[in-house]
Amino acid sequence: MTPTVTFWLIIIVLAAGTWAMRSLPIMLHGHVPLPAWAERLLRYVPVAALTAIAVPASLYLKTNGVYHLEPPRILAAVAAMLVALRTKNVVATLAVGMAVLWAAQAFLPRLG
Amino acid sequence: MSRTRHSLGAGARDIAPILLGIVPFGLVAGSAVIAAGFRLPEAVGMSLLVNAGASQIAATSLYAEHAPLFVVIATALIVNARMFIYSTSIAPVLGDASWRLRPLLGHMLVDQNYASTMTRGRFREDVDVIPYYIGAWLALAGVWQLSTLAGALAGPLVPPSWGLDFAVPLVFLALLAPSLKSRVAWEVCAVTAVAAALLVPTLPMQTGLIVAMLAGMAWGAVRHTDAEEVRA
Repeated sequence: MTPTVTFWLIIIVLAAGTWAMRSLPIMLHGHVPLPAWAERLLRYVPVAALTAIAVPASLYLKTNGVYHLEPPRILAAVAAMLVALRTKNVVATLAVGMAVLWAAQAFLPRLG
Repeated sequence: MSRTRHSLGAGARDIAPILLGIVPFGLVAGSAVIAAGFRLPEAVGMSLLVNAGASQIAATSLYAEHAPLFVVIATALIVNARMFIYSTSIAPVLGDASWRLRPLLGHMLVDQNYASTMTRGRFREDVDVIPYYIGAWLALAGVWQLSTLAGALAGPLVPPSWGLDFAVPLVFLALLAPSLKSRVAWEVCAVTAVAAALLVPTLPMQTGLIVAMLAGMAWGAVRHTDAEEVRA
């Protein structure tokens, strides 16, 4: 196989598998009843998913596959979370988070 | 303006601030495909067909590091396994969709669209949730395609030192905050946060994210009582 054929194979298998995982529950809804324990388990998916994505990306920077703690990001994420809890506003959260990140990147190394 | 058009527009408008976080991601996904030795059709085709940035970047970089084909595909699919959980969770919200529309709605399910629809769209009384969800995806997909294309043509463009990728966790924090309305929701957040902080850097094949999510979900299932009935 040429590299291009191999890569297209990766794309197609990945696309089909991802589509199946995304679509089957939506397609089967109403046809296959969900057991009570599964409904219970699904109740906090939004909270769990948002936390699981946001927390590592707020703590670490990944360079060449290695994770390091990144103090400017931690500081900026805490500030952004306080703004989010107070205002519930996405734009304000983004603005404060990015501003604190840039300020911390500019000033933190001089402290350390 | 009809209610459907209003709902499409509302979905796109609610997702607008989130789009900023997609751009650096798309630039990286596009430029990685070129850096791995391929051309525009592969970069654009991957974004159109797979439509899941983290798994695209994982698959492309593993391929470029000469990982075995099985590892490339398995890792990328594990990265996307959370979408099965999203789909099960959002299915009742999209339950009025026809059987013809449902396979397409499935393809549109990405983190940002799931989060926006579940934390905001489904509670808005002025919109129908299905066109809201489609409108949000159209805005996301447009920006995703254009930024992948730009990344493929011009490279990452935005210097990594700007840290624009940080917009991704910021958006998720902003959407998380309004969901923390009960004691159990805070507990689920804390359990997931600790698990994700410990497991994401340590577990192999990027399984940490999904394991952390399942830990939080299990905590919520055990601790939830009907008195705790909230829009979690």
